[in-house]
Amino acid sequence: MQEPSSQPSGLETPNIESDRADYPVNASSSDDSISTHVGSSAGPSDEISSKTDLTSDVTGPPKPKRRPGKAPDLPIYERRNWLIHLHYVRKDIENCKSLIDEQLNESQGMCEYALYIQALLLREEGKIQESLELFQRTVQINPNNVDNLKQVARSLFLLARHKAALEVYLEATKLNPQNWEIFHNQGICYMYLKDYENAAVSLKSAIQLNRHDTSFVQLAKVHLLQNDVASAIEVYKHAVEYSPENPDLMTTLGLLFLQVGQTQKAFEHLGNALTYDPTFAKAILAAGSIIQLHGDYDVALTKYRVAAAATPESAQLWNNIGMCFFGKKKHIAAISCLKRAAYLAPFEWKVFYNLGLIHLSIQQYASAFHFISGAISLKPKNGELFMLLAVALANLDDKDNAKKAYNRAAMLDQNDPVICLNYSVLLYKMNERRNAAKQFAAYEKRLDGMKRDGKAGEIDSQVYETAAKLSPLLQVGEKFVYKESSSNTSLPESEGYAMSDSSSKSSFV
Amino acid sequence: MTAPNANTDNKRNKEANIWLDAHHDPVSSLHTFTSCLSLADLHADGDHKLLVADLGNKTHEMKLKVFKGTNLMVESSIIDLPTGLVTFYMDTNEPRTPAVAVASGPFIYVYKNLRPYFKFTLPPLEVNSVEQDLWSQVRDDKIDVKILREMLESLQNEGSEGLLTVRSLRFLQLEEDELEAFAKLHKSAPLKRQTVITCMSTMKKTMPDDDAISCLVVGTESQDIYILDPEAFTVLAKMSLPSVPVFVSVSGLYDVEFRIAIACRDGNIYTVKKGGKAIRTCVEVGSQIVGLERIGKTLVVGCMNNSLVCYSSKGRKLWSVYLPDSITTMTNLNHKAKGFKAVLVALKNGEVRLYKEKFLLSTMQVDGPVTAMQFGRFGREESSLILVTRAGGMYVKILKRTASFEEKDTVSGPPPAQSVKLNIPKKTKLFVDQSLRERENSTSMHRTFQRDLCLLRLTAARSYVSALEKSLNPVSTSGEPIKVSAHIQGFGPAFKLTIKLQNTSSNTPSTDLLIAFQFLESLYNLSRPCIPVPLLIPGIEYVFETLVECISDKGIADAIKVFVVHKGKSVPIITAVINMPVSEAVVAV
Repeated sequence: MQEPSSQPSGLETPNIESDRADYPVNASSSDDSISTHVGSSAGPSDEISSKTDLTSDVTGPPKPKRRPGKAPDLPIYERRNWLIHLHYVRKDIENCKSLIDEQLNESQGMCEYALYIQALLLREEGKIQESLELFQRTVQINPNNVDNLKQVARSLFLLARHKAALEVYLEATKLNPQNWEIFHNQGICYMYLKDYENAAVSLKSAIQLNRHDTSFVQLAKVHLLQNDVASAIEVYKHAVEYSPENPDLMTTLGLLFLQVGQTQKAFEHLGNALTYDPTFAKAILAAGSIIQLHGDYDVALTKYRVAAAATPESAQLWNNIGMCFFGKKKHIAAISCLKRAAYLAPFEWKVFYNLGLIHLSIQQYASAFHFISGAISLKPKNGELFMLLAVALANLDDKDNAKKAYNRAAMLDQNDPVICLNYSVLLYKMNERRNAAKQFAAYEKRLDGMKRDGKAGEIDSQVYETAAKLSPLLQVGEKFVYKESSSNTSLPESEGYAMSDSSSKSSFV
Repeated sequence: MTAPNANTDNKRNKEANIWLDAHHDPVSSLHTFTSCLSLADLHADGDHKLLVADLGNKTHEMKLKVFKGTNLMVESSIIDLPTGLVTFYMDTNEPRTPAVAVASGPFIYVYKNLRPYFKFTLPPLEVNSVEQDLWSQVRDDKIDVKILREMLESLQNEGSEGLLTVRSLRFLQLEEDELEAFAKLHKSAPLKRQTVITCMSTMKKTMPDDDAISCLVVGTESQDIYILDPEAFTVLAKMSLPSVPVFVSVSGLYDVEFRIAIACRDGNIYTVKKGGKAIRTCVEVGSQIVGLERIGKTLVVGCMNNSLVCYSSKGRKLWSVYLPDSITTMTNLNHKAKGFKAVLVALKNGEVRLYKEKFLLSTMQVDGPVTAMQFGRFGREESSLILVTRAGGMYVKILKRTASFEEKDTVSGPPPAQSVKLNIPKKTKLFVDQSLRERENSTSMHRTFQRDLCLLRLTAARSYVSALEKSLNPVSTSGEPIKVSAHIQGFGPAFKLTIKLQNTSSNTPSTDLLIAFQFLESLYNLSRPCIPVPLLIPGIEYVFETLVECISDKGIADAIKVFVVHKGKSVPIITAVINMPVSEAVVAV
């Protein structure tokens, strides 16, 4: 061994041999000689390092002649894990794969971490079954690593084998009972297995361990699947407390409040969401629909402009914009917007409903008929749709079919008084006084029912006006002609509301 | 030289060029990472050198390279893949020349005056006592290799005592006949379990000065953190982590108070304080960590899900920014003269972004993803940035002295989109006219439509019935359940007609079938005008082919009908109609 200072040529022209020999012996090393790895691409055998004898050829493969009794050093399998990891997190997939192959070659498939990353890469490529097999190998190599078990379960979960995944997760909890992720995923498995009770328990313990937003979201979803909106709202309230700047959580909370009819609170949360992210389309849509409901169409439209820039392909948005224009009596713009909405979401019956409504109000009854019948074929069990169809048919002078449609509407919707009122008007015009009086009585009965339920406020004043005009006619029997169907105009507002509802539904996915 | 591309964002155009190009070598063939780059005043002459631990091509030509200015000054081989390179002062000798430490495998090679000086080996891990015992028995020839193998296997399956040594693992993988030789070769050497270094950093020992003595902080694959004394190279402290460390970020002084933030492979960040043996989970990031930088008291973490997240030292999430592409590496920019600290983030699309807190200050484009990046004093220039791309290009940039880093205040007021008019499709006058017409004649329009609809349905029903009667449909409705499909290939005048037949019944095979064709004989010529069909086994698709030649040169085409008939019956079971394409003209040669 030479002292470093006795090597004068080391600075400018270092050569490999002298470099290595210069290292003095480290006291903590149990081996009293310096042994090094001679890396080479030729294969595993070359990875065996040789004694750094100045005379031996260190760059070649290890020579058979070595000091008797001196075993070659075996490179450890994990020696390149850090490099694999570094390539993996930088998404340098190609190099990562070649490294893994090399490492697996060298360790004859026993390098746990290389297998683990390879399986992760396969899963990202969508080869879930292959990844599952590799993860199972890693579990074989090291059954005590929770990460391996977690990934096996995750792959099973992605293959929709929820029960198997759940079993693996339960096994993983035995190894590590304090892991948030395991409990969270357990909860989701339970949810897919429709065991909502256990799902809620698991998710709650996940939240106790670590308050992640996604656990809150999933827990709320479980509550919603149990039709427990109140609990879902509670969960979201907690979630908003712990991550106060998440507009997504606030918006969802707002939509839930909207669902239970607490418009004021809903608006508050939506507004909060918008202060943190003024371009958050979901919140804009919901807030806009509330503003629209109050008849503030211009304000709603300015809000929608922001959303239109962010999500120009949202059918719900264009539907709401269309209904704003309808509220402002700009029928052509309204039709343009609604048609765009229909183009974007051709199976959304509400868009067709609204289109039918607009065409009815501008007296294009033939077009209205087509849109409404289109909506009916998408949603065949809706009373309101049949009523609109009946109004269109009545105006198209097809009284018999109109009557059929009214009957159907009254059958499908047992609560709406407007259907009976409109039917009564039609019958009166057809000079069927007795039937008209019968329908009028049904109207009054339904109206009472609504009042009992405390929903009288939802009825438009025009309904009362029409009824007030109709009742003396039916009783007195005087011939009196007036315009009917005005009661329909109460619907567009309710439509904007209904649409926001549907947008909230889609947000829970 | 490539000028940094102007950012697409107009607003940032003026700030885009805060960097001057000093040097660009597109073929420097460096292959390195941020952890293997360092800038240091190696000769205490005020001229800072660039030190690069080059990974070569992963298996050989690993080198320690020192650049003076842009010239390669010293090159020295490294034996294994370098994991990290740091420069630190290990003594108080004058002149103040720093030592260079290169971590590689389980070793740290220390260079002084660019000459190899010392090799430190990580303390070996504890070997399973049973395993140790087994091998010593083999050495004394008390047990033979087969027993050893069985015992090791059971030990491995137990798995309770930690992992086995490489020797045992290798041994278990060998073939029966290789066991003896392997054991003979290895049995006399002492059994040891090594680990490798995964990351390395430095920590000042007692003084915060620039040239104060520093300790080395080393993370290992065995999930430990070691703090090494720079003078005696003894382990000052050892801490165990729940996962393998990937990045370490150190602050404070070893003798006073320090705090180490460690990003681990499980996606968590742990913090270690002086004296505290307990490891605290600081943050569960929820994604793999690509970079960890400390700015003041906050930790800025680059995640694999294209986000840059900032956490307080207590682990509270302060802000997060989403990036347009995945992060490749991060480093911090500490401009001492201006007292300005920011984070540089390199993206996979070749962008290098400068973030001051959550605000993007500048963007620069280089021609490839950056793998290594270091900001600091280079040569005599205080604020230089070294970039090494994946393709091996090296850039040296200098921060303009005039560069100003105004913090953008948070966006207030309505978003700009609010003043943009809605894009509502315009309707033509024709549309309005048509709606007026409809308003007047809606009843008659509706009636006409209804009548025509009825007629259409009637026509459809009629043709359906006639098709059924004449068996003109491609799926048979009565008798033999057979499906037929026919395709035509080629441009003409020769075509190939492929007919596929399938028996769709569950278990009754069809027999005695023929395929016949109907076509204009003046136009086409078929090589097989009648094809006998063998027994059709249910579920299997049979393919028949015939050549069709177009014998007319008038450029007209006609339909060919394919019938599947029973022998001796005139009514076909099913029919397929092929509309022939117009044949290309025969080219006279």
